[in-house]
Parts: sequence; structure tokens; C-alpha cells
Amino acid sequence: MSRIKSGLSVLVIALVLSLFSAAALAQDVHITILNSKGEIQAQLEEIAAYYSSITDGVTAEVVAVPVGQSPFERAMALYASGNAPALLMVDAGDVLLFQDRALALNDEKWVADAIENSLDMATAADGRILAFPVTVEGYGFIYNKAVVEKALGGSFDPKTINSRDALRELLDTIEASGTASLVIGPEDWSLGAHFFALAYATQSPDFAEIKKFQEGLKKGEIKLADNAQVNGLLDTFDLMKEYNYDRMDPLASTYDRGTELIGIGEVGVWFQGNWTWPQIKDFDNTGGQFGFLPVPISNDPADYGNTQVPVGVTKYFIMDAEQNSPEQQQAAKDFLNWLVYDPEGQKRMVIDASIIPAFKNINITPEDPLAASLLEYVRDGKTLNFVLNLPPDHWAEVGASMQKYLADFVDRAGLLAEVEAYWKGL
Amino acid sequence: MLATEKRFVDKLKTYLLFAGPTTFVFATVIILPFLFGIYLTFTNWDGISKVYTFVSFSNYQQVIQDPAFWTSFLRTVKYVFYTVVLVNSLGFTLAYVLTGDKVLGQNLLRTGFFVPNLIGGIILGLVWRFIFSNVLVYLGRNLNIGFLSYSWLANPNKALWTLVIVSVWQYSGYMMIIFIAGLSNIPRELIEAATIDGATGFQRLRTIVLPLMVPAFIVTIFLTIQRGFMVYDVNLALTNGGPFKTTQLISMFVYEKAFLAQQYGVGQAQAFFLFVLVAAISLTQVYFTKKLEVEV
Repeated sequence: MSRIKSGLSVLVIALVLSLFSAAALAQDVHITILNSKGEIQAQLEEIAAYYSSITDGVTAEVVAVPVGQSPFERAMALYASGNAPALLMVDAGDVLLFQDRALALNDEKWVADAIENSLDMATAADGRILAFPVTVEGYGFIYNKAVVEKALGGSFDPKTINSRDALRELLDTIEASGTASLVIGPEDWSLGAHFFALAYATQSPDFAEIKKFQEGLKKGEIKLADNAQVNGLLDTFDLMKEYNYDRMDPLASTYDRGTELIGIGEVGVWFQGNWTWPQIKDFDNTGGQFGFLPVPISNDPADYGNTQVPVGVTKYFIMDAEQNSPEQQQAAKDFLNWLVYDPEGQKRMVIDASIIPAFKNINITPEDPLAASLLEYVRDGKTLNFVLNLPPDHWAEVGASMQKYLADFVDRAGLLAEVEAYWKGL
Repeated sequence: MLATEKRFVDKLKTYLLFAGPTTFVFATVIILPFLFGIYLTFTNWDGISKVYTFVSFSNYQQVIQDPAFWTSFLRTVKYVFYTVVLVNSLGFTLAYVLTGDKVLGQNLLRTGFFVPNLIGGIILGLVWRFIFSNVLVYLGRNLNIGFLSYSWLANPNKALWTLVIVSVWQYSGYMMIIFIAGLSNIPRELIEAATIDGATGFQRLRTIVLPLMVPAFIVTIFLTIQRGFMVYDVNLALTNGGPFKTTQLISMFVYEKAFLAQQYGVGQAQAFFLFVLVAAISLTQVYFTKKLEVEV
């Protein structure tokens, strides 16, 4: 009996002591960062560990959005459990859903240094700036330069690909050299949110016009079958289907396989974005010879979209205003400033994590060739809007319709009818 | 009067002592969220916003009128039907064979068949995804087996069958254990008496074993129906609803409505509908199979 008693008292003492130590730790500020870019989880963890090591009393921790969950849903669960992270990385289109919960960041120094239009998606109707632009991303046809130049027997100028026929000629040349020319990734997010979004983006350089086009679709006033850009884009898709490496079984491919095929040069061209670089790098044996081509939608090089690639801020950090203490919010603000203004922070964000920053003051160029290629388009002013204001399930619904079209389960009229029905049903 | 009162207090004390913690947990994690969920079906909450308005029954109306919901529900019914039939027949066959006298390594085989049930759904889905999209296709193409040369996961007519196959593989072993328990409870003397009377193996199975196994079937059919309707993890990891949503079962459909389309109210209304339908189906099943029970 006495043994049990003494055992119990030891336990009680230990518990009381642990309470004290918890109280002692509470002086430290701990911030949690929700990451929704899975491909840079390791790099962000390193950044957080480094930041914790150089600051006094601040520890930063990165938690990932689990595979198969959307950032919005994860954020929702964390809010519901009273455990909201200090910084939440969310998709551009979701930022304003958080307007009751996010801290206004208008007074932050980086607001003035953010690149043009990068805060549009983060500004609420009342003028509050609710989020920090994390990364600029873009997409198009990624080409493996080694494959293309071997096929051409000389140097390759990506600017020559400015029409559908030029693309066809390039694909033919690659095929003639004995390499597969192109592979289509059948992911619904890629086909719905990126490829089909080109149909909206190419409507006009003016974002207001694109919004008007979307409104017209919602009201059922626009017939997609009569739209030149939509048909042109799908003509290009037909061309891609014809040359598709997986044309025997077009839905069986996976994203990981795509990164491998383009990385080792088994195919010359792949439709994807610059976020694929960390994976492509693992397969690359050419020393980083990759770049972007536009997705042409007609045979007239002067048409809008034939020489441009879509670029935009895809991810934002929201700062929680509710469940984090003022000290934690301050620590989170300091962390963002460190990323933007400290040379070490800049280097770690741009070089280590391959992020194209959305800030004018950062002059480091990413070593990542895809990012470098995008930056070239940005500098030449050859960009399209990365249409990010699409309804949240657009990628899944339109993506599914595109998959049907890809696998020939539906013809063009059927595809366009499904897309129109989706918009009308909103 | 006083005595009954005291008895009640005593009973309450005993109840609280033994079932109190469980009741508390059950109330907080099941009952309260359930009621709150029903409350949310009458709102247009998006999941994160602090303000929402009441929309009365329009979410329910939307569910009833949504053809995609019913397509997905019927698809799930089809999936449940095949898994229930296959899991139970395979599970029973395994159990019947493994309780016989002539099988070597019974315990090893029992363990072997049960193991798939210990693997988490996500891992299981990923493993089978690799098998369906790489291993089988590789074999099919190298050995010229036509129906294996193309990934089943990419074929809208076959992808649902991959889910059925994996579920059967996953649950047969578990149901087998329940059947083995049931089989070992069948009195030996009944079987022996029947054998002496000249009953063949099939006659013994049909007239003695199966009627006495009804209680086990009630449990296994209930479990397989309920798990079939609720399946999500395997669906997510194996097909992710694809190709183009042809394997999107009802749980995934509800989930996407609530979290992806950010229509939490509608998603909740769908979930409540699903609850009512599944409860009705399971209770009917238990009611009718109970009638088949026999007394020894």
C-alpha cells in the first residue's frame, strides 16, 4: 500500500512540476504555419527551423495540408477546433472567404513592394488587405530543351512556337527523331483549373472582360460553341490528343509519371506549371534545360494567347486574427518581413524553395529553369491572366468533363454542353 | 415510495459509474455534432464565414432535385450490393473450409486471410492502385492478356469493380472470423446425428449449418452494408472518384459538396438524407433476417 502511495505522490509531484515548466515555456512565442504547397514542405520546414534558430524566443512550425484535403477544408477544421495557425496558406480564390477571421495587413511594409495586381485577390470590398502573396506561378507547355534541340539538330527558340501549326511542326520533328513528342496529364485539376481556364483567359487581356464572360456563362447567355477562343483551344487539345504518348490509355497516366517522362527526356513536351520543378529536378540529367511554350489557340501568331503564358499569384498567407495572441500575430508579421527583406530569408524562399516572389524588391533569380522561363515572359510583358476567381469546384467538375473529352467518351458538343450546364447550375 | 426512490438513485449511481464516461463521450462526439449538423442543414453556411442566413428547407429541396446525388447514391447501392454478396459468400466459404477437418495450417491461413483487414484504407488503396495501374497492365501487355492490357482504373466501366475487388479482399477475412465463431458454436451432436441419418455434406450445410448461422449472417450483413455505404478511404486512395466521377461513391460526393464546393448546408442535408436512407436499409435488413432465426 505504502509503495502505491509513494508512487502516486511521485506522479503528482511530476504533474505539478510539468505544469510549472509549461508555464515557463509560455513566454516563448510559438507560431504555426499551415502549408498547402506539398512540394515545398521540406524546404519550408527548414526555413522555419532556421528562423526559430536565429530569433530569440520565437519558434515556428510548419504543418502540411494532408494529401487529398483542400487547404480551405483544412483551415476550416483547424478553425473549428480552436487551433488556427498564425499563418494559413490558402488558394487565391478562397482568400476572401476568410474575411471575418483574417487580420488586415494594410500597414505592413511589403504592401508597397508587392508587384502590380498581386493583391487584387487579397483585397476585401472594404479595402482591407487580408493576405500576403506567397508565390507567383504560371503554366504552359514545358519542353525538355535537350530533346527538342536534338530533334531540330540545332538551337531552339521558343518564340518560334506561336501558332498551332508551328506546334504541330515541332511535335512532328520530335516524333521524327525517335522520341515521343508530348504527354497529357489526365489530372482533373490540371485539365479543369489550368487547361480549360485558358479558354477564359484568352477572351481578353482585361480581367473585367473575363469576369463579364463568366457572368455571361452563369446567365446562360454565352454559347461556347460559337466562341473562337474556346474552339481554338479545343482544336489544340485535339492536336495534343493525336500526339499524346498515352493515347492508348489516356486516363491511366499519373502526375508523378509525367514528371519522370519529361525529366528523363522520354517525351519532349508536357502541359504543366512551374510547381513541377522540384520533382522534375529529381529526374533531370541535362543540367536544368527546360522552359515554357505558350499554348497556341489559332494559326495567327498575332492572336492574344499564342505568344503569352498565364502567370498569377496562386497562394496567399492569411494571418489569423482570432485564435492567435497579439504576440503570435506580431511574430508572424516579423516572419513575413524577414522573408521579404532579409537577404537570407529571400535566398531561402527563392533559391531553396523555388518560389517566384511577388515582390519588386527581391532581385534574386530562382535557379529553377521553369521559374526563370516564366520570369522572361513576365519581363517581356507576354502574360495572360491566370484565372483564379473560378468557383471552388470548377476544377473538379470541368476537369471531369475534360477527362471524358480526353478519353473520347464525349464529343466537343457534349463537353461544351456540360461546361455550360455547370456554369448555369451555380 | 422511499425504497423505489433509493433504488433509482442507486441505479443512477451504478449507471454513471460504469456508463457515465461513455455516455459523456458519446453525447459530445456523436449526439451534439449530429444535432448541430441538422441545425446547419437549414442554413447557407460556407464552412468558414461567421455569418449565415436561414434558408428553411431549400437545401433539402436541392438534394432531392440533384440528379448527380441520386446517380451517386444508386452507384453506391450497386457497389454495396456486390460487396455484401461477395464478402459474405467468400467469408462464409473460407470459414466453412477452414473449420473443416482436412485443412493443413488452419491457423496460418486464418491469420493470412484476416491480415488485409489490419491495413489502413489509404495504404490499401495506394497498394492496389499500383497493382491495377502498373502490375496488372505490365502482365497484360507482356503476356498478351487483352482485358489486363489497359488500366482498369482508367476505364469507367471497370473502375467500380476495382473498388468491389479491393473491398472484398479487405473484408472477407474479417467476416470469416465472425463466421468461424458462429460455426464453432453449432452443436457437434446435431451434425453427427445428421451424418448417422445419412445426410450428405450439402444437406447438412443447407438444413443444419446455414439456419443456425443466421445470427452470424445478421451481424456480417449489417456490418458490410454499413461499411459499404460509409466507404471513403479506399475510394479516395484507389480511384479518387475517377475516371471523371464514375466511381464517386456517396460519402465522397457529400464530402465534396460540403468542403470542395463550399456548400456546407447542402452537404449536411445530403449527409442527413444518407443517414436516414442507410438507417432504413440496415434496420429493414435486421428485421427481416431476424425472422429467419431458428431455435435449436
